[in-house]
Amino acid sequence: MSTIAASGPRTVVRKASRRIRPARVILHAFLIAMVALWLFPLFWAIFASLRPYGDTVMHGYLSWPANGLSFANYQDVWTQAEIPYYYLNTLVIVVPGVILTLLLASMVAFCCTQFSWKFNLIVLLLFTAGNLLPPQVIIVPLYWVYLNTPIANLGSIDIGNFSFAIFSDNNLLYDQYIGIILIHVVFQTGFATFVLANYMKTITKEITESALVDGANVFRIWWSVILPLCRPALAAMATLLFTFMYNDFFWALVLLSHGNKRPITSALNNLQGEFLINYNLIAAGALLACLPPIIIYILLQRQFVAGLTLGSTKG
Amino acid sequence: MGDSREAKRVRNLLAAKDAALNLNLDLSRRDVLKIAGYGSLAAFIAACGGNNATTTTGITAKGGTMSLGSYNTDPNSKKGTQAIVDAFTAANGGTKVKLNTVDHGTFQNQISSYLQGTPEDAFTWFSGHRMRFFADKGLATPIDDVWDAVKSNYTAGFEASIKGNDGKAYAIPTDYYPWAVFYRKDVWSQHGYTVPTSWDAFKALCVKMKADGLIPIAFADKDGWPAQGTFDILNLRLNGYDFHTELLTGKQKWTDQRVTNVYKKWSEITPYYSPAFAGLTWEQGADQLLRKQAGMYLLGLFVSDEFKASGSAADLEQLDFFAFPDMGTQYDAEKALDAPIDVYMLTKKSPTLQTDLGQAKAFMEFVAKGSTQVLYWQNAPGSIPTANDADTSTYPALTKKAVQIVSQAKKITQYFDRDSRPDYSGPNGMQGFLLKFLSNPKQDTTSLQGQMQAFWDSLPPE
Repeated sequence: MSTIAASGPRTVVRKASRRIRPARVILHAFLIAMVALWLFPLFWAIFASLRPYGDTVMHGYLSWPANGLSFANYQDVWTQAEIPYYYLNTLVIVVPGVILTLLLASMVAFCCTQFSWKFNLIVLLLFTAGNLLPPQVIIVPLYWVYLNTPIANLGSIDIGNFSFAIFSDNNLLYDQYIGIILIHVVFQTGFATFVLANYMKTITKEITESALVDGANVFRIWWSVILPLCRPALAAMATLLFTFMYNDFFWALVLLSHGNKRPITSALNNLQGEFLINYNLIAAGALLACLPPIIIYILLQRQFVAGLTLGSTKG
Repeated sequence: MGDSREAKRVRNLLAAKDAALNLNLDLSRRDVLKIAGYGSLAAFIAACGGNNATTTTGITAKGGTMSLGSYNTDPNSKKGTQAIVDAFTAANGGTKVKLNTVDHGTFQNQISSYLQGTPEDAFTWFSGHRMRFFADKGLATPIDDVWDAVKSNYTAGFEASIKGNDGKAYAIPTDYYPWAVFYRKDVWSQHGYTVPTSWDAFKALCVKMKADGLIPIAFADKDGWPAQGTFDILNLRLNGYDFHTELLTGKQKWTDQRVTNVYKKWSEITPYYSPAFAGLTWEQGADQLLRKQAGMYLLGLFVSDEFKASGSAADLEQLDFFAFPDMGTQYDAEKALDAPIDVYMLTKKSPTLQTDLGQAKAFMEFVAKGSTQVLYWQNAPGSIPTANDADTSTYPALTKKAVQIVSQAKKITQYFDRDSRPDYSGPNGMQGFLLKFLSNPKQDTTSLQGQMQAFWDSLPPE
């Protein structure tokens, strides 16, 4: 019976779609135009990145490549700009950043949602309100805090020309990976707490209570009961946080003074000279820098979409 | 068997004795290479071992370590800097140089926080007001002792450019490049143009070029700073070096009638500029010259970089330039021009400077040598060595000519943004004001000049 009911309207729809109405044509023309408009800059960047700079100098960007297309710019960027090292820099910053943020945010969210205490709403508000603070506001005091915070110097791991300090190589927070990791954790914890708290509200308190009855301590409940239940939320947050931290340009530029410590986004600046700027080379570098988030997005698409709607409905 | 081997050894020894007497070593080319290879390997190992040994002589020290902050990120200058550092390490008992390279734009924008934070021992910078500013702030170490040792290698003009307001030496000038009017020799000979020496001849040439279907003067001001080059040269020619430097440091008023004259004269050539110049980068302006669309281009010697980047050596060969024409004032005789000088300086707040001071000073002495500067120039040919003992024999014609017009100049300026305060020369200041002027050059500039002065007055004390 349900099949009959379903097939009825479907035939109607099919018939309707055969008649091409002007509104539909306009709609599709509009959609195609919008897609073209959005994709144009991307294709233009790809096109430019495949042309040697000399070719565009001689003939301009609005010309058909006289000497053909090549991957020479990509090769240059890979070797001359040492892009692989800067990917590594990003990784060194983002991976601990994401893990730390999730651990801390889930702890706050856990305490504020699974237990009733006097200030739990205020604490939650405090963390969410932190989102509203524009990071640029605190940059000057932060610079001085970083310059005056002593950090242990525990040696470093050397890879090629690059040296990854364990904690600090100048006994300060300034100009260190750990400094960048910490500032990311600070600024992302607010958002992550907000989202995770909303998700944890959907977990009934009875689970926590029965775990308590079974003799689990608070830490145990957080780690063995609540965190596993939050896996979808954590996965969604991890992918979002990864892209947030990956795309950071500002902190790395302001709080790092060594060019070779920069993550890939700010390292692209190194492709500019004093006067001459090879835009084709920069296009190649920028496209390479775009790749990891795109790959992450394709692989973890489901988490992304889940992340966008996470906590929007209370279960 | 043992016996025969022994006998062979003795025989060989005797033969070797003979050979040594005749100096007939009979070494093949490969043997020589091998020996050279082992030799350099041994030297390398020795150098590695000696890294931490510091020997001090006078103000400089060998061995040990030092660090250098560099803004040379484009491939050529990066290679040049690395070549200098390697040569220094080899020449100074294996001093290990930690090099921190940050791109030019960021380095300049963050110089203040860089110098107050944890900078390297030495750093690349500019002479002129920008150097004196940080010297006054106590963020640079004076190097009078180094300068006394090397000053015989420099002209008085360079010496003046590295003195702080307190009269101390703060930097070692290493390279410079002049601003001039560039053109293509082939285009000019095709149309029969000749180099104009007076303002009227210059304007007449523009008219002729326009009639021939060329853009007479390529002009590109998207980034704001290129227009300041024209302001500099017009002000220098019309009002002289002293007025120009005083104006840029606030000792003269922007509302002065002499400034009005500069804008009046400037408006006579603006009709010959590239169309839509406010949206063109300097590279696009250079491309107009390269593609034979434009006749002239007032810019720095770095315009040759774009010609080189085109990959066409034939085009680069056609590039030539002349000094800006005379304006018929008493200041023509100064032959003044913009020739920005790049320098090396010592920081003050480097955490390692106490221990590395000897090595850092040795490095400053090293970059003051002509041979060092030529080494850099070979990698980055847009920058001309400053030292008197630099070997000029290998310079191409364009570089030789650049040296010539700078040596003829009685007064040298450092370019607007290096001679004035950075906030005044930036996009909110003169870069914006000049674009406003250029959008309507025939306007009465009184109110615009009033804005310029008001902006200067509104700036906090440096």
